[in-house]
Amino acid sequence: MFRVRVTTIWQLIEIKNAPGPSGYRKLASLQRIVGTVRSKSSIRQAPLLTAAPIRALIDEKISIEARFLPPHFPVTVCARMHCDDGDLWESFAHYNTNASGTVTLTKDPSVGGSYLGCEPMGLFWGMQSAPGGREGLRLRKKNVETPYMVNISLLEGHVSPNDGQIPELAAVTTERWYMAPGVRRIEIRQNGVVGILFLPPGPGPFPAMLDLWGMGGGLPEYRSSLFASRGYASLVIAYIGHKDLPGPPNRLNVGDSYFKAAFHLLQDHCQVVADRVGIIGLSYGCYLALRIATQTGVKPSCLICINGPVGSKIENGNGRTEEFDKLLADGISDQKYWTYDDQGYVIFKETSLPANLDPENIVKLEKLTCPLMYIVGEDDLSAASIETADLIEETLRAAGKSQLFSRLSYPGAGHLIEPPYSPSSRSSMWAIKPKKLITLWGGYPAAHAAAQEDAWKKILDFLENNLRC
Amino acid sequence: MSQTLTPVLSVHPIRALADEKFNVLVEYLEPGCPVTIRSLHHSEDKDYWEAYGHYISDHRGSVSISEDVSTGGTYTGKQPMGLLWSMRPVPGGRTNLRLRKLNVSTPMLVNISVHSGHKGFRDQPALASVLTERWYMAPGVQRININEKGVRGTMFIPPGSGPFPGMLDLWGGGGGLLDYRAALLGSHGYVTMAVEYFKVSDAQAAEPVMSYFEKAFEMLRDHPQVKSDRVGIIGLSFGSLVALSLAAESIIIKPHCIVCISTIHTKPPGKDLSLFNPVFTSKSKEMRVDENNSQIWKDACLPLIEDPAMKLNVGTIDCPMLLVNGCDDQNWPSVETAADIEKMMCEAGKKHLLTRLDYPDTGHLIEPPFGPHFRATNFVIGRTKEKVVVLWGGHTKPHSDAQEDSWRKTLRFLHQHMYCSMNKANL
Repeated sequence: MFRVRVTTIWQLIEIKNAPGPSGYRKLASLQRIVGTVRSKSSIRQAPLLTAAPIRALIDEKISIEARFLPPHFPVTVCARMHCDDGDLWESFAHYNTNASGTVTLTKDPSVGGSYLGCEPMGLFWGMQSAPGGREGLRLRKKNVETPYMVNISLLEGHVSPNDGQIPELAAVTTERWYMAPGVRRIEIRQNGVVGILFLPPGPGPFPAMLDLWGMGGGLPEYRSSLFASRGYASLVIAYIGHKDLPGPPNRLNVGDSYFKAAFHLLQDHCQVVADRVGIIGLSYGCYLALRIATQTGVKPSCLICINGPVGSKIENGNGRTEEFDKLLADGISDQKYWTYDDQGYVIFKETSLPANLDPENIVKLEKLTCPLMYIVGEDDLSAASIETADLIEETLRAAGKSQLFSRLSYPGAGHLIEPPYSPSSRSSMWAIKPKKLITLWGGYPAAHAAAQEDAWKKILDFLENNLRC
Repeated sequence: MSQTLTPVLSVHPIRALADEKFNVLVEYLEPGCPVTIRSLHHSEDKDYWEAYGHYISDHRGSVSISEDVSTGGTYTGKQPMGLLWSMRPVPGGRTNLRLRKLNVSTPMLVNISVHSGHKGFRDQPALASVLTERWYMAPGVQRININEKGVRGTMFIPPGSGPFPGMLDLWGGGGGLLDYRAALLGSHGYVTMAVEYFKVSDAQAAEPVMSYFEKAFEMLRDHPQVKSDRVGIIGLSFGSLVALSLAAESIIIKPHCIVCISTIHTKPPGKDLSLFNPVFTSKSKEMRVDENNSQIWKDACLPLIEDPAMKLNVGTIDCPMLLVNGCDDQNWPSVETAADIEKMMCEAGKKHLLTRLDYPDTGHLIEPPFGPHFRATNFVIGRTKEKVVVLWGGHTKPHSDAQEDSWRKTLRFLHQHMYCSMNKANL
């Protein structure tokens, strides 16, 4: 007969001190069990929870399995971790063991919790910030040299992890890494360029990627560190909202020459294959990638554009913004193309609708000479991705360059299509000054997770085909 | 046009436990290209260790170590882990070295590279290289220094609330504190305590008396995260003598099962363990040396096995025992010891408790898998502080096979006895 694994002495003491009759009832029942376990054990086989590989890159799938449970038995698998800022993120899922007393997350469906159905990586992408935590969080790895430590535990029954003192049947800890061993991280402050270069281990030379993010600014390193872990030198550059850039932080103070310098810096590096350098851009980075490829004279080998515009409302022909800070400083009601949902969350989508762009400010797509993969999240509320992709496709077709264009389109996916198996946020904090502003990115968890997984695989294949072969 | 494509080398998994297998894959070579795949490790003692295999790429320009055959180098044949277990110190460095991980909180870093050609491969720079990590501790395993009630050692506790079965981990007469096997056992779900004794540099070295180990066992057994009726002992060499002594003679503690590697049962019954050294030292005049002046202790110690006054009465042992020994053990007559133990267990009607694993061409130092094999190494004799070279025995390939096979069987044995319950009483 199966008995619940006993809790530790400290947990017993906690239960003992819990107010109310239920605490005593629990204690009484546990004491009977303690008595059993601490003398001759009659338990058949202790439940076992395994995860393999136990140390993996963040974009690798892992197999989680629970074994040696009774047949057709309800269990809950929980995952918890602290991000770099200290916030707690967690997920859980309800499973029933099969006739052999096993649950295998790569095959079995979740019947409740943070996700439903067969989702081998659901515990990771299904995480949410724990109740009582800060508002409007988005999970982003700041220090890519350390892993996320994810504690996975197996609980009896279909429970919520926050239900109280539930005996833990088994546990395992996994590490999720953003960098492979031997990858080198180099701060770049050279030729005016502000960035971080990630180099794969070994002598090289390597194909390379220029990595561009959106108007959120700063220097997110986690995509470049993964590219380097997959054998591509990768340079992520800051262009707005970074202390080492010239001028006020909320203005775009760098122009075409900056991006050209960044591309050359990468291309000229002794460990980079000069004619195998591509560019990837998300959101505003997409516009920058297209602009670099068509207007600055450099010749990338390929482009990957994710959910971004083909034109900028705010540049004046040099790629520089005069009034961006004014746009941000002004009250929300002055933003011509910003819309709001009933919670007051801002939706930026209309600003990049091709119909709302000045034709002068749209990149000259017909000048494109390299393959372009455009990735669309069909529920993108931050950028008009579907309309933009249509425009690019049409322009290239008219220029006789259809063969350069490929599109990936994901129903239910939002704006932030990032490396896979991390939680997505349908909305998050965009600004705190002059007043608190939360933006809607769009996307629904399961659909967005599926999009990230598929897109990442296709991105790596695209790079393999265009930068290696 | 573009430069020639750089070959791509990948290792999977790139971060693994030290007892896990990996695969090395090279792609984007020319078809039918002779290459050498090499491993290089810079040890904590600052020596360089390497291994290499010669391969030829297939029609797609790929080499996969788990599927292809090495035609030469430090290992030959289809040997997925040859790059690790066939490592030896690079030519020109120090000799008679032993490779052991002392800081188990950090991984062992091994550089894997691919070079053009077979002969003279070192003369050219590598075509590609990666760094792989071999960890002794799984994520979430806690490492705790123990220094209380006179017991010194390290304890490893698996993640989770437990409770877990416990293991006392003991090494040989070289002494000091080696905790890499304990770290691995902790990573496999056992609260494991590696115990320190015979510390050479310490004037107050813990004397290996029975009560010291009994105290260590009790400390482990009484830990709140340990299942008190599921505590076993694993010991190598002198450590196996301790394990057998505790199982046979202790009235205070009772191990649930024991694993004895390179087994010794030389101890006058009822007398303390501390007598082992004087007995051993008295035999040292009769030690042979081989052609390299390495000491062979085995033959001088063989007569000890025959003497009933000099061996434990193992017939009193009531717990399951696994004995792991090498047939080419030059340090101790361990196979003969195992045979003698079997005889005594049969006479006591307890043969069913005993499992013997004897491995051909295997030496004395049978350790967790994929570590290099050492036929002879430098050794400092505990009492006298004399520095000698000791012949352990074994030949690299069979010894490495034995380490892999015996570790798998040891884990299975422990799992059976410590994680599953018996339907009948435990005798």
